[in-house]
Amino acid sequence: MNNSTEKAEQAVTIDISGYDVATAEIRSEAKRLLTEKIVDAVVGYQAGRRKGSAVPVIITDPAQAEKLLFSPACVNNLSIYLTKAKKEIRAKGKLAVVAKGCDLRALAGLVGESQFKREEVVIIGVSCAGVHRAGIQPGEPLTNSTIAKKCRECSVHIPDEADLVVGKLPPLPDLPPKEKELMEKLDAMTPALRWEFWKEQFTRCIRCLACRQVCPFCYCEQCLCDRGRPQAVDTSPRPSGNMGWHIVRAMHLAGRCAGCAECERVCPMDIPLNLLNRKMAEELKELYHYEAGMKPVEKGPLTSYDEKDDQSFIK
Amino acid sequence: MKHDFEPKIVAFVCTWCTYAGADLAGTSRMIYPSNVRVVKFPCTGRIDPVFILKAFQKGADGILVSGCHPGDCHYMAGNFHARRRFAVFRKLLEFIGVDLNRLEFSWVSAAEGGKWVEIVTDLTQKIRKMGPLTQFTDLADEEQWSGALSNPELKAVYDQV
Amino acid sequence: MSRIGVFICHCGENISRTVDVEQVAQAARQMTGVAYACDYKYMCSDPGQTLLKKAVAEHKLEGIVVAACSPRMHEKTFRNAAQAAGLNPFLCEMANIREHCSWVHDDRAEATTKATDIVRMLVERVRKNKKLVPITVPVTKRALVIGGGIAGIQAALDIADCGHQVVLVEREPSIGGHMAMLSETFPTLDCSQCIMTPRMVDVINHPRITLHTYSEIECVDGYIGNFSITIKKKARSVDMAKCTGCGVCMEKCPQKKIPNEFDKNLGFRPAIYVPFPQAVPNTPVIDREHCTKFINGKCGVCQKVCGPGAVDYEQQDQLVVEQVGAIVVATGFKLYDITEKPKGSAIKGYGEFGHGKIPDVIDGLTFERLASASGPTGGKIVRPSDGKEPKQVVFVQCVGSRAREKGISYCSKVCCMYTAKHTMLYKHKVHDGQAYVFFMDARTPGKSYDEFWRRAIEEEEAVYVRGMVSRVYQKGDKVVVMGSDIAVGVQVEIEADLVVLATAIQPRDGADTLAQKLGISYDKYNFYSEAHAKLRPVECATAGIYLAGACQGPKDIPDTVAQASAAAAKVMTLFSKDQLEREPIVARVNEKFCVGCLACKKVCAYGAVEEKEIRDRQGNLIRVVAYVNPGLCSGCGTCQATCPSKSVELDGYTDEQVMAMLDTL
Repeated sequence: MNNSTEKAEQAVTIDISGYDVATAEIRSEAKRLLTEKIVDAVVGYQAGRRKGSAVPVIITDPAQAEKLLFSPACVNNLSIYLTKAKKEIRAKGKLAVVAKGCDLRALAGLVGESQFKREEVVIIGVSCAGVHRAGIQPGEPLTNSTIAKKCRECSVHIPDEADLVVGKLPPLPDLPPKEKELMEKLDAMTPALRWEFWKEQFTRCIRCLACRQVCPFCYCEQCLCDRGRPQAVDTSPRPSGNMGWHIVRAMHLAGRCAGCAECERVCPMDIPLNLLNRKMAEELKELYHYEAGMKPVEKGPLTSYDEKDDQSFIK
Repeated sequence: MKHDFEPKIVAFVCTWCTYAGADLAGTSRMIYPSNVRVVKFPCTGRIDPVFILKAFQKGADGILVSGCHPGDCHYMAGNFHARRRFAVFRKLLEFIGVDLNRLEFSWVSAAEGGKWVEIVTDLTQKIRKMGPLTQFTDLADEEQWSGALSNPELKAVYDQV
Repeated sequence: MSRIGVFICHCGENISRTVDVEQVAQAARQMTGVAYACDYKYMCSDPGQTLLKKAVAEHKLEGIVVAACSPRMHEKTFRNAAQAAGLNPFLCEMANIREHCSWVHDDRAEATTKATDIVRMLVERVRKNKKLVPITVPVTKRALVIGGGIAGIQAALDIADCGHQVVLVEREPSIGGHMAMLSETFPTLDCSQCIMTPRMVDVINHPRITLHTYSEIECVDGYIGNFSITIKKKARSVDMAKCTGCGVCMEKCPQKKIPNEFDKNLGFRPAIYVPFPQAVPNTPVIDREHCTKFINGKCGVCQKVCGPGAVDYEQQDQLVVEQVGAIVVATGFKLYDITEKPKGSAIKGYGEFGHGKIPDVIDGLTFERLASASGPTGGKIVRPSDGKEPKQVVFVQCVGSRAREKGISYCSKVCCMYTAKHTMLYKHKVHDGQAYVFFMDARTPGKSYDEFWRRAIEEEEAVYVRGMVSRVYQKGDKVVVMGSDIAVGVQVEIEADLVVLATAIQPRDGADTLAQKLGISYDKYNFYSEAHAKLRPVECATAGIYLAGACQGPKDIPDTVAQASAAAAKVMTLFSKDQLEREPIVARVNEKFCVGCLACKKVCAYGAVEEKEIRDRQGNLIRVVAYVNPGLCSGCGTCQATCPSKSVELDGYTDEQVMAMLDTL
């Protein structure tokens, strides 16, 4: 964080007292849902081993509801536990899930892609001012320097379409966007320079595929990029295959990605993966007025068309 | 006429319109540069962006995707789906840093032999001037991260991440 | 697969003039997997094909590349030859070195290099080809026709006359549709009922037509050759088997003042009724909404007077299931009701024309009933308001049609002609009357059509005013029509006794819901979409479903009948074989890897993708995957390009085949 704008920015602490309210409400709701047997399991967050940390948890016993919490450490997008990639969790029966606004968008997307039916899941939405970025010591206050990049530009603080919205949103400080700024800088460059940028980013990739593992939309049984016959993308972690992998991934997420930026958070090599997804989202908005929303839609922008779509690029 | 550089051009075309248009150029004995290699599909709707990626990786210097005009698709809507898919894929490649002059899209009907010739000729000439596309092929030769960034402006942005 | 034969054709000199075919053959011999390569003057000739067949046997070839002309020219020829040689025809590919090479390049070295590259690509491709077998679908040789207007009647009779069973479903109590309502028809002025009713009778008497009137399509399952149709037969309250059609019930029904829809509410009918005297079937139906027995139970006269005891107040709606192989949709049209702005519609309505408020402003169909000898006035043209004979009648064309600002931009096609006809019918009945027509253009293409229109003006003295009408209002007992005459450039006001509006033709209400049941597409006006505007005008994109008449777009009677016969011919083509054979270039789902996101289903224009439930032995649902119905798939491959994991693959154009070609670059 040696950027000049960062230094100029004054330290701003974000009031997260509403998170305690959210915690209490999540607990009582989870307890009620489990006691009344409305759901069989609740997917939420509990305290991790280190003080102030949080990890996903699945509880089935109402007595365990007291374990649940919401804090700036609740970074995970829990919607992945509802995809078909996590069969053992789906097998538990009817689920409730705790979701921030960005997570709810992913849930809506998954409903649109028939991964589960909306009525099968109870969504406990959390009013969220933001969560920590990667690499922050657990328990640190939520400030302009510890907040995740995506949260600086969040437009979904309150997950309206959830079955229940818990917590209280504090007054939000006006944080200058970083991702947008970065995107604009890249856009202003020549293609050759951009290539240089991404090449350097992608060549660092070790193909651990954590980005894929954590993505709610990477629920394929077999990833195209793992296929051998025919091989679409070289599977070894070398520059050529890495470039292929990240291009294919961005393309497959275009029009589907809900912007939770989990891929970027978990990347051990700090590759700005969400930048690609974000760029695609901007383009889809520009081209087809499409934005990932909180309500499931029948067809996404790349599974539908309009006869009058722009074709200025076609001769 | 001989040129210093003869590019490899790959054309992904649908069988009903553009392939037939190219056939018409043949039966009309229209002469055009021999650089293009045609890969036939039933419909532009079948053409996967992965193929474009693969062709670039395999050394194509320029790529053409061509199908039926809107409303003429033999399968009703395949070209409409393709239009969106490629509009988005172009934007992705552009952001990654691929010069979009190397990727052309066109609608060429079965009656447009002349248009086929014109598009292929123009693209070939354009790519001849641009020179070979080495971005993707160079990557294949690289084993790992070089760690070197030539441009200070780029270095600044890179460090910002 | 590794024993490929490459056959390079000279095509006389068409190829060999620019391409060094021997060099290409030489190069081919070096290619991986090529067991044999040769060149020959005319591969497509008999000796050429014999050479190919011999080579297959001699060299135990497992795949063939014929480098010659375009596959559009001879693919079939060589695939047949391959088959004759004992190979699966889909293991034969053509390398187009004529249209795409020798004919378009003049440098011999370049052309030879390119031809070699093309051959290499196709050799790699064919090595990945799989044996494909044509898809066969059994065909139930029984057709469903939806709609009993002239379109449906024509289609049903044609199919039935050809020897096939037909199920005809009509929503109203009688077949006949709009044509039965017309007085006389252009351009011959022959009586509509005189030509229509015999056809209706042919339908009911036909041994191979099953007629379901007063019935609607409840649901449609299946696909081409194998549809299962659930039909809802609405309760008629009269047992069709017992009713003799004597009509006593109608005579005795005390409820006699119900507006008659068939007569556009100009006349009245009882609560138990047939829509019109020539109705088919001639079995009455009880209008339960207006029948006193059903309202308060205090009647029952019809049951008492019915000799055969056919009246049955307890009758319930009934569901009937019919198995058919093909469907003809002939649901027809309705007239744009401009009385008020339709709710939730983009259509703005024509409040300024006073339709619905001024009794003497009527639409074209109402005029037809007035002019019809079997109509409420016995064919006498009178004003609905006071029964007087109108001496000045103003006809307004293009009401609703061609008015983008009002929500409909298309031309309704028949109004120019029927308005001209109306002026003539009027003149024939009111000799001293004067007809005026406001029109934008006269569109009268068609055999004897323009002559007909000219006759209306030149012989029958209709006055045509080119211009639009801005307002229609009541003044005393007159109806004033304000408009412009753009030919002269003046405003015109005509004090008329009667105003007839040629309102736009629209699809029937519920056209969209029916389309959804059938899985066919429709345009923004709800007209059904044909598969190809030029080459497949009577077929739906959904295989096995065909269109006839105005449900596809405004049409006059001759066009409707022609289209209905065309649809019938398509059905008969389908029924000409026991099995429907289709090219095996269809998509297939790899159920092991499909995660059921159903993106493929969303992009399929043919409705060929379905959801398939995978269950364990106990019957528990494990997961839902996509399934491509090979009977419906047309092989465009859009699904595969859309599928992120490529769990759906298009046979004949698999990723493996494409990638193999790209690997040769």
